[in-house]
Amino acid sequence: MDVQDNDAGLMLRYRDGDAAAFAALYAHYKAPLYRYLLRHVRNACAAADLFQEVWSHLIATRARYEPRAKFATFLFHIAHNCAIDFFRRDANLRRAMSVNESDGLLLEPEVPEHQRPDRVAEFAEQESALLAAVAALPQEQREAFLLREETGLSVEEIARVTDVPVETAKSRLRYAVRKLKHSLRPMQEHDPLPLRTYA
Amino acid sequence: MPDERAPDELDEYLRGDSALSRQYRRENSPLPPHALDRALLEAAHATTLRSKSPFKSQSLAPLAFAASVFLSLAMVLALVFGPQAKRPDDKPRVVQVRMFKSEPPRAAPASPRERNPTAWLGYIESLRRSGRDHEAELEMRRFRSAYPDYIIAHNE
Repeated sequence: MDVQDNDAGLMLRYRDGDAAAFAALYAHYKAPLYRYLLRHVRNACAAADLFQEVWSHLIATRARYEPRAKFATFLFHIAHNCAIDFFRRDANLRRAMSVNESDGLLLEPEVPEHQRPDRVAEFAEQESALLAAVAALPQEQREAFLLREETGLSVEEIARVTDVPVETAKSRLRYAVRKLKHSLRPMQEHDPLPLRTYA
Repeated sequence: MPDERAPDELDEYLRGDSALSRQYRRENSPLPPHALDRALLEAAHATTLRSKSPFKSQSLAPLAFAASVFLSLAMVLALVFGPQAKRPDDKPRVVQVRMFKSEPPRAAPASPRERNPTAWLGYIESLRRSGRDHEAELEMRRFRSAYPDYIIAHNE
């Protein structure tokens, strides 16, 4: 455990019954965690469900918490697993729909939930060119980039969160960065100013 | 599959001050719905309240375990070595129950003659004299039962 990780200390306090410690952790991580989930699964409803699932899991298992790693690693590892389950369920749903369609029962178009036109339009309203480029990355590269940006985790910690070797995590991040740079370059050449600014 | 052509691209990015990171941080920052905030904070608070109850399951768990082990051991010992335990040399025992503490109750004299020992003995004697020895013997048994301490004179 990193002795400088105050968040792990907060989690220990919450484990021992201090609700204020949880409130502090929640205030610190709710925005990055929600952004990570939203931009990873690209579906606002699914992101909200997963967000609740991650925190509920943390609350339910708090008694067993032991600070073996940085708290962000612990929290985003839960989030990673929840997202993996989501993508697996989504794939199964698509497969089931495909089978029904082959039987002559056209129930739904064979499109992932997060890629349905109405969902994409809803999400596209809020996203910039950069976020669109992030959304277009392959799933593993997108996750590596989002983990780095939202948590500041090192490559080694990203590897731990995503259960892959360090070299794999580094490779995913390298490809993600290169693709994003390439996708943004033509636009930056025409418009060097920030795409959007928010107060 | 590290790309050897651009080794510095990732290093520059990992330093944290790349144009890409700066641009990403300028993006909007969506937040979860407020209803989720409330629900999760209340859930977290509720779990801490439950754990603060006087009967903390966590702290009582070792005690409960020790108590169950102790009780189980006590039951086993009681079955093996207790007073109800069956010993190998045990044999069925016949218990004799005495209905009377000393002597059976005496037969109460039924007739006026029998209430008078002398008269009863005289009647027995008359039976013997008339040759009714069997009846005399039965009457004598009844007499003895009614008056066990009565001393019979030889002339009676």
